Amino acid sequence: MSDIFSFNGSPNAGWSQPNPILSDSEVLETIPSSMLRNSPPAWPRASEPELVRHYTWLSKRNFGIDTGFYPLGSCTMKHNPRVNERIVNLPGIDRMHPLQPEHQIQGILSIFYEMQEMLAICSGMDQVTLQPVAGAQGEFTAMRCIQEFHRERGEGHRNKVIVPDSAHGTNPASASMCGYEIIEIPSAEDGRIDLEALQSVVGDDTAAMMITNPSTLGVFEPDIARASEMVHTAGGQMYYDGANFNAIIGKTDPGLMGFDAVHYNLHKTFSQPHGGGGPGSGPIGVKKHLSKYLPSPLASRRKIAKDDSEGVGDGYWYSWITPEKTIGKVQQWHGNAGAVIRCWAFYRRYGRELERMSEHAVLNANYLRFKIMNPEKDVLEKIHAMPSDGAPTDFVMHEFTLSMIDMKNKVGVTGKDIAKRLLDYGVMAPTLYFPMIVPECLMIEPTETESKEVLDKFAKDFLNVLTEDPDLIKGAPYTTDVSRVDEVWAARNLILRHPGNNIEDN
Amino acid sequence: MDQLPNLGREKEMLSIMGLNSIDELFSNIPEEVRRKNPLPLPPPQSEEEIWRDAQHLLGSNIHLDSRPSFLSAGLSRNFVPTMVGMLATRGEFLTSYTPYQAEVSQGMLQAMWEFQTMISELVNLPISNVSMYDASTSAAEAITCAVRVHNKKAIQKDTIYVSELVPPHRMSVIKNYVQGSGINLHTLKHDENGHLDINAASIAHGSCAVYIEQPNSFGILDEGLLELKGKIGENTALIVGVDAVSLGLVSPPGDWGADIVIGEGQPFGIGPTFGGPIYGIFACTEKYIRQMPGRIVGQTYDTNEKKAFTLTLSTREQHIRRHRATSNICSNETLIALMGAMHMSLLGPEGIAVLAKRVAASTEVTKKALSSIEGVELIYPNSSNFRDFAIRIPGDSEKAVAFMDSKGVIAGLPMGLWWESHSSSILIGCDERTSESDISSLVLVVKEWIKEVAN
Repeated sequence: MSDIFSFNGSPNAGWSQPNPILSDSEVLETIPSSMLRNSPPAWPRASEPELVRHYTWLSKRNFGIDTGFYPLGSCTMKHNPRVNERIVNLPGIDRMHPLQPEHQIQGILSIFYEMQEMLAICSGMDQVTLQPVAGAQGEFTAMRCIQEFHRERGEGHRNKVIVPDSAHGTNPASASMCGYEIIEIPSAEDGRIDLEALQSVVGDDTAAMMITNPSTLGVFEPDIARASEMVHTAGGQMYYDGANFNAIIGKTDPGLMGFDAVHYNLHKTFSQPHGGGGPGSGPIGVKKHLSKYLPSPLASRRKIAKDDSEGVGDGYWYSWITPEKTIGKVQQWHGNAGAVIRCWAFYRRYGRELERMSEHAVLNANYLRFKIMNPEKDVLEKIHAMPSDGAPTDFVMHEFTLSMIDMKNKVGVTGKDIAKRLLDYGVMAPTLYFPMIVPECLMIEPTETESKEVLDKFAKDFLNVLTEDPDLIKGAPYTTDVSRVDEVWAARNLILRHPGNNIEDN
Repeated sequence: MDQLPNLGREKEMLSIMGLNSIDELFSNIPEEVRRKNPLPLPPPQSEEEIWRDAQHLLGSNIHLDSRPSFLSAGLSRNFVPTMVGMLATRGEFLTSYTPYQAEVSQGMLQAMWEFQTMISELVNLPISNVSMYDASTSAAEAITCAVRVHNKKAIQKDTIYVSELVPPHRMSVIKNYVQGSGINLHTLKHDENGHLDINAASIAHGSCAVYIEQPNSFGILDEGLLELKGKIGENTALIVGVDAVSLGLVSPPGDWGADIVIGEGQPFGIGPTFGGPIYGIFACTEKYIRQMPGRIVGQTYDTNEKKAFTLTLSTREQHIRRHRATSNICSNETLIALMGAMHMSLLGPEGIAVLAKRVAASTEVTKKALSSIEGVELIYPNSSNFRDFAIRIPGDSEKAVAFMDSKGVIAGLPMGLWWESHSSSILIGCDERTSESDISSLVLVVKEWIKEVAN
C-alpha cells in the first residue's frame, strides 16, 4: 500500500501560489529571529496529478451511501441530495464571515430564521437555536440551559439527571460534562420505559430526564406522557434526544409528549452528509420558559421599515438578538451554517409533506423487518437459528433491533461475525451491539430513501448468511480491501502517525 | 418529494405485510400525543425551485470576495485549491459514516491517519486527533483534559490560568465547558506591548494548566512565550492556541514546551463559511493520550498481516464509557479535516512557508500603510504581528466601520463588540490574498472617515 508520505518529489513540482508582496528578507525582518521555525513540517511533496490519484484511490477504499445500502441503526443514513452541495459552494455562504454586519447577511439570516421556525413547528417547541454543531453538543447546550433555569429559581441543588440504560452514550456524557450525576434506570423487559423504576428515582434532586422516543429499540413509548408528568411533578425537566426524529415528523412531536427541550440531528433527519464522522449540526428547541437561556445570538425579524435597505424582498428585516439570560456561546460563531443551509434545501424539498418522509421511513423499516422475520419455507429450513426481535412489538417505527443470540448459542456465530459477513454482500453492516440491553444486537434502519428492491435483496442476503457455514461466517469479510482488522494490536501499539522514514530528508 | 423511491408503491408493500394503510404502522402512538393538524409549512419544491431560491437568498448577501475585506478575527479569507472540493465531495467520502467498520473504511481511516501526521508535524507534538468542532471547543476540552491529568499532583487544585486577551466568544465557550467540573478560572495579564507579563505568569506555577494564544487576539507574536513553560513548571500543562498558517514561518509550540496545541483548522481546507463547518486542531504529548477528547486512528494489521488502519483508544469515548467518557464528542468535523489534509498536502513543506510569508507580508504592508495616516494610531506599535493588528481611530469604531462599509470596504472588526474599552479600535485582518490595491482602498476610506469625523 502507498501512503501520502511516499510522495517526496522536488519542491518545484508542488502547487504554485502568488509571491508575497514583500521580499523574503523583508518578511523575515518582521518576526524576531528567535521565533522563526527551524525546519519545515515533514509534509509530502506532491503535485496535483499525484494527489488527485491518491485521494481517488483512497475514496475507492471507502464505503458510503452512494456505494450501497447503509442500514446503520440510529444513524439515519439517507440519501444526500446533490443540489445541497452545489448551494453551499455559492459565495453567499462559502465566502461569508460570521462577524459581517446584518445588512450584508440578510439572505443567510432569513434562512436561519426559516429553519428556526420550521424546526420549532415540527417539534412543538417555542424557540430554536442553530448554534450547536453536533447532536452531543445540542444535548450539552440544552442541559446547560436547564441548569441555569434551575439555578435562577433557587433550585441549583438539583444535581441528578436520569437516563434509561438504553440511551445513546452521548446523553450521560453530555449531562456529566455539565457536572450532573447520572442515574441510570433499567428498561422494562419489553424494552420500554419502566415507570416504577422512574418513580423510585425522581425527586427534589432531579434536574432532568433525557430520553429518546421512539426508543433506541425502534419502539414508540406509549407511556411517554406519563413519564413526563412524573418528572415534571418532581420539578425536573424533560429532554428529548432527537436522534430518532425521522420516525415521527407530522405524526406527533416532543411538545405533545411533554418535553421541555429537544435536539435535532440535522445530519440524520435533514440529510447533512455524515462525511466520515462529521460535520453534523445539532440545533436545539426549547419551550418558552427555557428560551431566555439559549446561546447567543438567535435570528429574528421584524416588518421592514422605510429607511431599511431592501432586504431579501419578503417584507422583513432580519437581525440577531441576544436572549435575556443567555448561557453565551457553545461554538465560536453561529454553528455549522453550511450544514444548516444544506438542510434548509432538503426541508424545502418536502415542505408540509415532511410527514410523507417519516411515513416512508417507517414503512421501509416495517417492510424489511417483515421480510427478514418471515422467510420462505425452503430458506427457513436451512437457517441455523432465526434472529429474535429486540423488543416484542407488532410494529416498529423507523428502525428495529434483532438479537442474534440463538445463532451464537447454536453455531457459535456472533452478531459481529454476521455484520462482517454482510460486508461481503456489498452492503454496510447494521449497527452492532447497541443498545446494550439486547444480547448480540444488530440494529437496522433502512431510511425512506431505499427502494423495495434494495430491501428485498438485503432481506434475502441477510437470511442467506444465516444458512452459511459457521466457519465461513466467522472468517469474514473476504472481499473487502483488508480482511478482519486487529483492533487489539492497534490499541497495544498505538502507531498514531507516520514514523517518518520516507520524509526524513525534508 | 422526489427522494422517495417507494412513493406510489405503499399499497403493494403494505399488502405483503397483510396491512391496508400506513396509519396502522403508527398505531402505537397514543391518541393523546398525536398531532391533529398537518404541518403549517409551505408546499414541496422541486430542485429547480430550491436552486432558484438559494441563488436569490444567498445572492443577496455581500460576500468577502466582492470587495476589499479586512475582517479576519480568527478565520481566513483563504483560497482553497479546486481539487479539494472536488475530491472531498466524492460520494464514498461525503456519504460515509464514522469508520467503525474498518474493513470497508480504509480510505477515510488512512486519510485521517495522514491528517494526524501532518498536524503532528505542523505543531511538533507526537499525537493529534481527527478534529474537534472548532478552535474554541478544542481550547475548552484541552483545559478539561489537562485538569484530569494534572489535578492529582497540582498544588493549585482545580485551577487554570487563561490569557486575558482570549477573545470573548472563545472565553464564553471555555466557561460553558469548564463550569461543570468546578474549575477555577483565573486570567493572566498582558503588558503595554500586548505581551504576556511573563514574570507575573509564574503565579500559575503548580496549577493544572495555562492557556495562551500565539499570535494573540491582537495578532501579536510574543517572543516571551518561548520562556513560559519554564515559569509554570513540568506539572502544569502549557496549552497554546495557534494560527495554523503562521507555523509555516514561526516556531511550532512543540519546540518551546507546549503540552497541548489547539487551533482553527479552517485556513486549510474550507472557506470561512459563515463560521462553520470548520474544524478544531487538537494535538498533545503522550501524557494526555488516555484523557484526550475525540477520535484517533491507529495503524494495525488484518488477519492476513496486511497493513491496515482502525479507530483506536475508543475506551475513552462516550459510546463505550458513557458518563465517564473524556468528552461527549461523537460527530466531529472529519470531512473538513479531510479537506484540510488535501490542502496541506498540496502546499507541502515549501508551500506552507510561502503561504505564511504571504500573510506576514500583507500584514506588515497594511500596518505600515495605516500607521502612516495622521490620526491613526497602532494600539501596540512595538509588536510583531501576524494576520491581525489593531488601530485606534478618531470617533466610534462601529460607526467608522459602517461608514467605510458604505464606501465599499469591509474594514475589519470594531473591537468594541469584544471589549467596551476598545470602542474606538478596529481589528484589521490581513491574509494571503490581501493585495496592494486592497490596501490602497482601505487607506483611502480611513482617510475619508478621519475627514468626516473632523467636520
